[in-house]
Amino acid sequence: MNLSGLRPGERGKITRIGAVGPIRRRLMDMGVLVGVQVRVEKVAPLGDPIEITIKSYKLSLRKKEAEEITVEAVQ
Amino acid sequence: MSLNPAQKYPDTIPAIDTGKVMGLKRPLTLAVAGNPNAGKSTLINALAGTRLQVGNWPGVTVEKKSASFEANGRKIHLIDLPGTYSLSPYTQEEIVARDYLVQEKPDVIIDVVDVTNLERNLYLTIQLLELGLPLVMALNVYDEALQKGYVVDIKGMEKMLGIRVIPTVATKKTGLDELLAAVTELADHPLPRSLKILRYDQDIESAAAVVAGHIQADHPQLAEKYPVRWLSFKFMEGDEQIIEETGLTPDDAAVTQAVDHLIKAHDSDIESIMADARYSLAAGLTQEVLKKPELRKIELTEKIDRIVLNRWLGIPIFLGAMWLMFKLTFDVSKPLADWLTAVTTGPGKRWAAALIALLHGPDWTASLVTDGIMAGVGSVLVFVPVIFAMMFFITFLEGSGYMARAAFVMDRAMHSIGLHGKSFIPMLLGFGCNVPAIYATRTLENTRDKALTALLVPLMSCGARLPVYIVFIGAFFAAHAGTVLWSVYVFGIGLAILMGLIFKRTLFRGEAPMFIMELPPYRMPSFRSLMIHTWEKGKHFLIKAGTYILAVSVLVWFLLNLPWGVTQKQDSYLGRLGQAVAPIFKPLGFGTWEASSALISGLVAKEIVVGTMGEIYVKRAEEEKKAAPPTLTEDLKEIGTSLVMALRNSATNVFSSFAPSSLSTAEDESRAGLKTAIQHTFTPLSAYAFILFVLLYMPCAVVAIAMRQEFGTWKWFGIAFGYQMVLAWTVAFVVYQGGRLVGLG
Repeated sequence: MNLSGLRPGERGKITRIGAVGPIRRRLMDMGVLVGVQVRVEKVAPLGDPIEITIKSYKLSLRKKEAEEITVEAVQ
Repeated sequence: MSLNPAQKYPDTIPAIDTGKVMGLKRPLTLAVAGNPNAGKSTLINALAGTRLQVGNWPGVTVEKKSASFEANGRKIHLIDLPGTYSLSPYTQEEIVARDYLVQEKPDVIIDVVDVTNLERNLYLTIQLLELGLPLVMALNVYDEALQKGYVVDIKGMEKMLGIRVIPTVATKKTGLDELLAAVTELADHPLPRSLKILRYDQDIESAAAVVAGHIQADHPQLAEKYPVRWLSFKFMEGDEQIIEETGLTPDDAAVTQAVDHLIKAHDSDIESIMADARYSLAAGLTQEVLKKPELRKIELTEKIDRIVLNRWLGIPIFLGAMWLMFKLTFDVSKPLADWLTAVTTGPGKRWAAALIALLHGPDWTASLVTDGIMAGVGSVLVFVPVIFAMMFFITFLEGSGYMARAAFVMDRAMHSIGLHGKSFIPMLLGFGCNVPAIYATRTLENTRDKALTALLVPLMSCGARLPVYIVFIGAFFAAHAGTVLWSVYVFGIGLAILMGLIFKRTLFRGEAPMFIMELPPYRMPSFRSLMIHTWEKGKHFLIKAGTYILAVSVLVWFLLNLPWGVTQKQDSYLGRLGQAVAPIFKPLGFGTWEASSALISGLVAKEIVVGTMGEIYVKRAEEEKKAAPPTLTEDLKEIGTSLVMALRNSATNVFSSFAPSSLSTAEDESRAGLKTAIQHTFTPLSAYAFILFVLLYMPCAVVAIAMRQEFGTWKWFGIAFGYQMVLAWTVAFVVYQGGRLVGLG
């Protein structure tokens, strides 16, 4: 399951980051790392991008970027 | 609390003190680093105030702020590094920041940390500490942390990181004296370098030790130039920029082996291993020193976002906010701009002419000064109010945190044509004036997004093109004025979408766009900070662009008036140039020297087109009324009263901003003569082709200058100029010839 599949309010734990190059590096610098918990907050009014909470701050990313992040659902 | 130390210690007994100071206290260079949105700008404003200078880092479009001042009797040079989340080499900001730190080695780094977002901020702190430079942390937004019931163990933090940590509230100027004291203390009594090194886990440290040993043994010159520990990490990470810069290659088997071993042991890639190590350290530290209350209150930011980012309300709120900003920017500045034009073209010119007459200057000098230089000054001044207004709103949107939300709401729509959510604001401003729109592209972080936005902005039909449309629509399409005018604007937008799609697949192919953006908490920017920023950015524009605009204006004067003594516009250089290029416009339906000259003058500014056409076509039909020139006192009185009127109109426009007025098609009566003239030389079809040509070709010289200034090279302007010319010609050609084929015109 990937991050873009989570609905607002749902949580997940990152298990893999598939992105490469600058996008991968940027994600990591923003704290998007394997083992970190995320919670999807909102989907933008037009359906993309999404807003997540990670490391107690808010981050937005496009669904295309979120699709590269594999998560396992957390209750 | 007064923050200006120079005021606080009024010239501390200069005779004795200076001598002492000279010997002991060297001037200090301080670099301010930190995450975006950590309050870095506010802190710098609070420290430096109006002594702040805004410029660009050489060769890149990243804004550079610096200030020199005296504090506690010593000279301080403050450099603001771009806000970054990391020191990796992937954004211009990060490269600028780390190159400065590594190459210039400032005396002390001030690391501004947002305590309400401690872990992610510490991630940068940890990387800064790898550089081994003296560092003091400003633990900012401290009041918010206290308000939220956070308990921060400052002493523990100092001990664990081995640095001084000073709680600050930049917006209230709290803790700044302590910060400066800690900085000077550290500069005067540097700690032994080896005192505290943050250690990562054993595998990483042993690999780093092997690499460091290799560097020290085989590349001693690098060991002197770079901090070895930092260089070792960068080398391990495979940092392309550093490897290229240093020429380091893994020519030592032990080095490759050590890194390979590390990768195997962690079963991951090296970048993840390093990011993980740094974030683990940051997370551990945060857990140790920061206690949050068990019950978390719903924060204000979340409450606001529930409305502002709401599925149904998000877009209407955004559009409302944008409309308000647009109206405020252009309606507030317009009366002031008009007033400035009136003053420079009226009394300004008269006074200049009088002065030259007094000095017995020849006729041509009077003309050069009034029509060349004063006109140039006028065209610079016209931009002043709108640039200041735009800078003010953009700074407010960024400082408050709404800019990121605007991008979030609009990204889907903008991304479909290859743009970024933040591109919307420059595009919108383009309808008022392309110049502030080009400057507004600096809110975009990525060069790709910035360049693509700047290329499309000119397709947004600006206010200066409107008079041209109005004259032609009035002459040929009076019955359907509204529809025709609308069609021009829609045409521009449609072409922007088309060109966006084309550029995305050609010029910018292969450049991965990204939208990984923090949504920072909403904060009220301090009024003082807003004002200082607006002023400094506006001033920067005035000085830089003003010089160019003036030069271009003088050049146009020469084109129009040389060879000296021409009486017929046709014989001036502009007229001859018009004749020379007229054949190019023949297939478009307006291949006359008059139309060509008007279009050439429009390269400078679209405002001039109608004026030039008036001069050429109407041939001084209306002799200037020779009224007695007003006296100096009358002039001054007029300037004063018109300023009061202008200010009043600005103020009332703020409140009447709810009636759309900017796009009114109100007709200018005085253009009647021109209309009759163009009705004889144009057909409705060639008139429409002409309107589209004016919409599409280069907006004005100031846009060129703005692009040069924002991108540091002429490259993007060159591309813009070229494609606009081709596009304008092609569209006008297709419309005119196509129209003729189907029997129009």
